[in-house]
Amino acid sequence: MLRRAGFIAAKDLRLSVGGGQGLVQAMLLGLLLIFLFSLSRPTGELVSGQAAGAIFWLASAFGLVLVFNDLFSLEEGQGCRLGLLSSPVPEHAVWLGKGLAGFALLVISQAVFLPAAAVFLGQDIQGSWGVLILALIGVDWGLAALGALLGALAQGQGARESLFSVILFPLLLPVLLGGIRIFAGVFSGDAASDQGLWAGIIVAFDAVFTAAGAFLFPFLYTGEE
Amino acid sequence: MGARADSQNPPPVRADLRADIRADIRADIRRVGKFFGSRLVLREVSAQVHAGEALLVVGGNGAGKTTLLKIMAGLCRPTAGEIDLRVAPEDCAYLGHATFLYPRLSAAANLTFWARMYGQTPAREELEAVLSRVGLARVIDEPAGTFSRGMAQRLNLARVFLIKPQLVFLDEPGTGLDPASQELLRREIENLKKAGAGVVWVSHHLTADLPHAESVLFLKDAGAAYFGPASGFDGGDLTC
Repeated sequence: MLRRAGFIAAKDLRLSVGGGQGLVQAMLLGLLLIFLFSLSRPTGELVSGQAAGAIFWLASAFGLVLVFNDLFSLEEGQGCRLGLLSSPVPEHAVWLGKGLAGFALLVISQAVFLPAAAVFLGQDIQGSWGVLILALIGVDWGLAALGALLGALAQGQGARESLFSVILFPLLLPVLLGGIRIFAGVFSGDAASDQGLWAGIIVAFDAVFTAAGAFLFPFLYTGEE
Repeated sequence: MGARADSQNPPPVRADLRADIRADIRADIRRVGKFFGSRLVLREVSAQVHAGEALLVVGGNGAGKTTLLKIMAGLCRPTAGEIDLRVAPEDCAYLGHATFLYPRLSAAANLTFWARMYGQTPAREELEAVLSRVGLARVIDEPAGTFSRGMAQRLNLARVFLIKPQLVFLDEPGTGLDPASQELLRREIENLKKAGAGVVWVSHHLTADLPHAESVLFLKDAGAAYFGPASGFDGGDLTC
């Protein structure tokens, strides 16, 4: 199963990066958000670490929607979803493949968002890079696990994008809040006392989202037309 | 001769086609029924598919042909009845209207991806050979999105050959193909049969496809109006 998930992820990355749709759109939207928020900063004032963290993760969350809409639309054009379902590939491998591809695309987007946040929002990494990277990986895993699950729910729907966003954002709140809090500490250099608590929440919700994705994805993806 | 049945009762099945008589059975469906909401689509349909033979599934629009095929291929759950596929999932292939192609991937990359989904890792020579069979060797590195409908369906056919299936589900595979491509399709279906594959073939081209089938399942009014040898099928009230 892992091998086939890897092939699906590799194919998705090749198509998404080469096609320049989901990834490029996610990057542009995220950069636009960061830039627009930077304009709201009063002249001579700094954006707080908390606000910068919130803007960074907001850009990531919107990017996530575009990335997963693109990843699932890859299977719809020529009936490839039917091809996957009629093949011996376990549905879990599709979920894992989509999740891995989405995770990679999200990290690529954030590699652009982070310096953009530093430049436009006047932030510097005062805290530990290790904490920042671990928080990034932890939150991104939760986002990707849930994005890959709900992307399947929204596929083929007329109002796919809006449906996806409406369902996704409320569920993502715990991990997003965790990411915002930890990033606030890393940007400001003040290691908040509740960082460990938020890290625990992120890990717990990662586990919940992963279990929910692994369990529910086959039901959503194989839904009768 | 085949057996006729009205829409209320399932037809009797020829003794020499019964699962307990023949050992080379690839798929056996028994009294399959399907509702979509409150609408009855299939009622107590039974049929078998054997190695090296094609079962032609015919009927008017909305007769339930595609639904039956999807049920057999595991893409749709039946409301009632049993499906007994006697081949491994890796040995089943589905070919329908949709070409299952990624337009931005080359012909070779598309075939490689689908082969990997079936647990195979084909060499370049194998890809060239299978594309030669369908007349696409010269465009092996071209993106599938540049192909015509006929070329895309030929590539889809190549995907099925590459898998080397023992059970093939065909849902009107000739739709949109020119006469030469349709002839190629029928020839290759014969080759699949010679290789031992059982073929379930939904078709609207009764006159052209009947000579290539060993048995016929005629669906009418949600039920099986005929199931038996192709030689005994008089076309029902189908006019195509």
